[in-house]
Amino acid sequence: MNQYELALVFSSELDEEGLVESVNKVTQWINDHSGTVQNVDNWGRRKLAYPIRKLREGYYVFIQAEMPPTAVKVMEENFNITEDVLRYLVLRTDE
Amino acid sequence: MVEQNPNADSGNTGGNASPAAETSRSQPRATAGRRDRRFARRAKVCPFCEDKARIISYKQVDLLERFLTDRGSIRSRRKIGTCAKHQRRLATAIKRARHLALLPYTAEHIRTT
Repeated sequence: MNQYELALVFSSELDEEGLVESVNKVTQWINDHSGTVQNVDNWGRRKLAYPIRKLREGYYVFIQAEMPPTAVKVMEENFNITEDVLRYLVLRTDE
Repeated sequence: MVEQNPNADSGNTGGNASPAAETSRSQPRATAGRRDRRFARRAKVCPFCEDKARIISYKQVDLLERFLTDRGSIRSRRKIGTCAKHQRRLATAIKRARHLALLPYTAEHIRTT
């Protein structure tokens, strides 16, 4: 089990509810792979430094979780499929 | 008598060049500042080493954007005075932030936003 931080940028086309649903989807994936979500930091809407898919704003969410390393690849595949996720970054936060 | 010897190029001596090399050119070169003792650069301290227990993180946008030029490029270590270790960390943090659209890649991004 390793410590990870998931930085996600969600599409601004989502409404508040849609965002919560999407975030829950992600936490569900984490739990499905026997990971534990430790913290969810939501920055809310924020201006993007450059347009992504024509959008100029996005929802920034940072999730800290403990997951088995095998889960990382699956998570990334899921992120790639999910249209709502504009950008993702999976970082390892243990030394 | 000033000798114009094009082979007497000691521009890569790194530190302070000998006074003899100084007189072998009649025109100041770009590295003149290094040889001219009058403008000796003061010791540059790394902004992260000295005292600032400031963590370098891709999330610290306000901290990070200070290290970009007006065109969005990462400033050179020479200009900022960071140490090698922190410059590397700084660069990776900036690159991550750029990926997440927290920082721009180019000047055009800054203009059109």
